[in-house]
Amino acid sequence: MKTLRYLTLLPFVLVTAGGQMPDSFDASGRSTQAQSGVQNDNPLRTGENPPPQMFGMELPVLDPSNDTMSYGGAKFDVGNNAVVRERFEKFLSQAPDDSEQSKLYRKKLQQILDYTERYSSNASKIGSKTLVKIGTGLYDISSYPGDGEQAGALASAIVSALDVQRNNRRRDKVNAELDSEIDKLIIKTNSLNNRNTQKNRGGGGSGDIKNPNQGSTGTSNTFLIAANSTKIAEKKAVQAANTASNQASLPVAKLNYQGLVVWLMLQRRYDHAVIGARVYRHVFRDGDTSMNLEKDSDAYKLFTGISGMPPTINTVDTMASNARREVDQSIDAVYGALAQNKLGEATNRLITAVALGEYMQSVAIFPTEHRKRIDAYWQLRKRALVTLNARDYDGVEAIAAEMKKLDVDFNDSQLIAYTSGKKRQSNFALRSARKAFEAGKDEEFRRLATEAAIIWPLNPNLDKGEEQIALVDSYAPIMDEFRRLLERRQLRTIYNERERFQVVVTDSELKKKYSEVVEFVGATDIMLASLRTGAETDRTIGPCLAYEQMVLLQKKDERYTADKMFTDALGQYAAQAHDFVQALSNGENSEKRAEYGSALSSYYRARCFFPKSTLAQEGIERVTKIIVAAKY
Amino acid sequence: MARSSRRGRGKKVNSMPIVVGVLGVLVVVLAGMLFFKPKARSAEPEPFNISRYREDGSRFASTGNRYVIEGTVESIETLGDNRMVEVSVRGNRRERLPLLVQGTPPSRVNITRGDKFIFDVSCRTGRDSAGHEVKGILIVNDVKTK
Repeated sequence: MKTLRYLTLLPFVLVTAGGQMPDSFDASGRSTQAQSGVQNDNPLRTGENPPPQMFGMELPVLDPSNDTMSYGGAKFDVGNNAVVRERFEKFLSQAPDDSEQSKLYRKKLQQILDYTERYSSNASKIGSKTLVKIGTGLYDISSYPGDGEQAGALASAIVSALDVQRNNRRRDKVNAELDSEIDKLIIKTNSLNNRNTQKNRGGGGSGDIKNPNQGSTGTSNTFLIAANSTKIAEKKAVQAANTASNQASLPVAKLNYQGLVVWLMLQRRYDHAVIGARVYRHVFRDGDTSMNLEKDSDAYKLFTGISGMPPTINTVDTMASNARREVDQSIDAVYGALAQNKLGEATNRLITAVALGEYMQSVAIFPTEHRKRIDAYWQLRKRALVTLNARDYDGVEAIAAEMKKLDVDFNDSQLIAYTSGKKRQSNFALRSARKAFEAGKDEEFRRLATEAAIIWPLNPNLDKGEEQIALVDSYAPIMDEFRRLLERRQLRTIYNERERFQVVVTDSELKKKYSEVVEFVGATDIMLASLRTGAETDRTIGPCLAYEQMVLLQKKDERYTADKMFTDALGQYAAQAHDFVQALSNGENSEKRAEYGSALSSYYRARCFFPKSTLAQEGIERVTKIIVAAKY
Repeated sequence: MARSSRRGRGKKVNSMPIVVGVLGVLVVVLAGMLFFKPKARSAEPEPFNISRYREDGSRFASTGNRYVIEGTVESIETLGDNRMVEVSVRGNRRERLPLLVQGTPPSRVNITRGDKFIFDVSCRTGRDSAGHEVKGILIVNDVKTK
């Protein structure tokens, strides 16, 4: 599982650094191709760590157990990730790569892979026939467009590595020859030395007399010895230089080669990576397969994460081989799920396969009809997400029903529970809004209606709420006019247009006032009609009665004074009951002047005109008490 | 001089009309004197102008005169020992006067509703318990049965 975990993150490493993915973008929207600098950056040497960024240089980790990918402390759904989604949709829209050229390419690639499995016993020989075949084959397939010239790059790396080693071998050979020459020179020099020594011992002092040329011969040996010593020194210097060159060029050659292999791995060119890894031990036959990765680099963490051991070139071989197997197994799982009409499972496995091994043969030749089936389901899944984001819960439920038809395993219970809950929540808010509307609580109604709309924007019941809102809005001017008329006490105007003003009942406060106005003016009209009838029936008492009733009402409720119809009628009855009104008026005026005798006389007179007059009787009783209680 | 000029125009002047006229004037003057002979103050009641009273009753009190009012009792309001009697005057029953009867009138006439009486009244101004004026009150001095 851990291997799978790290294998599956490789595509995302590729996404971050892959030069073949110009359509991937980092969080800032810039092309990662421009940032990563694929051809220039050595993946083994990270140098300064760049600042963390989404789809930048950090290594995202995919958790296949829940299809989430975490990086930067955040988790993202792989199926809903823009980059993965885009590449997957691109894959679904493409035709399978099953052309003759493609088949030939894959056939040759497989042959090269087969070559790598052959054992080479000739350890001393660099550039065996097998290696030549591999290199030739790689150059041959690099012309195929789908290869992206990765094979050519690998072939060039192999050739370069071999050239370096050939040069090393040549230098080693030169050094061996130099050793031989040095040995000969040493022997020759030793011989000359011995001869000089013997002559010096045998001749003694007479040597010079017998052989006068002997001194010149000794001098000659001495020169030869010196010349040989110089030659030996020169050859050793050449040897040292060759050794130094060999020691310097080999690690560089290994580093370059390993960098390319790792790069091929990260680009999901698993076949190329396997070839490169397996050829490595034939190219570099010193038995050292350790990889020169910086310990702080992401690549080092990636490769050491599997076993915890220092990475070797065999690690790449293992990982690439596992990835190939995983991709093939995923594709097999896709076929199996499709056969069982489990489109959800098939889609998820295909996403994994495409993300992990887009360039694998099993993925590339995935049939068109299967792509179309999965694409139909994928589009439904996308629509479901978009529709869910739009909070179109009816739409989500319809899509869920379609998905259920396509996928026997699709479980919509969670989705339906969610949408039902949201719909119910919205309807509850609307119900509360309606109650608030009926109670005339305008602000609360608006708040609750808005809340219902936010929860479920396409709630069909919202139309009714919207109509009510529009209605409330149209009420505002009428309510203002109503308040204005109330302030001016133009109650009869309200009453006359009571049907138009009836909308104010939506406001709890105005509703009460509206009822009061309608009841008051209505009752006034009934009263006036009754008094009019009485006045017309009895033209003597009737007007007096009407007048007095109206005056009494006026004293109790000042709203009557503001009613023109009331005041007009009052004036009319005052004229008709002139004597009565005059008598009452005189009585009141006299009372005010303390002319209580005159006042009582006037009240008596008023009572004569209207014997049941309350006003007159009250005046009589009031004044009588004052008169009787006074002292004279 | 005028008399002399008249005399000079005719010898026989008929003086009979003049005498009759002078006598007539004298009779009228005497009759008037007899009829309009001033009464002693408070001795005889005066006739009462109700309309004027209703306008300004206190004016009647200032004179201090007594008045005779003949009318029908329309109602009686008894408050303690006092009674407020509503009287309608002859000729216009809507002309009502309030008469205050304090205690029992000297004549001891029983004042009853619906009967006619002749009231001897005075117009006075009193004061209530707070010292405020209570103007133009007709107080019955005596009453006679009609």
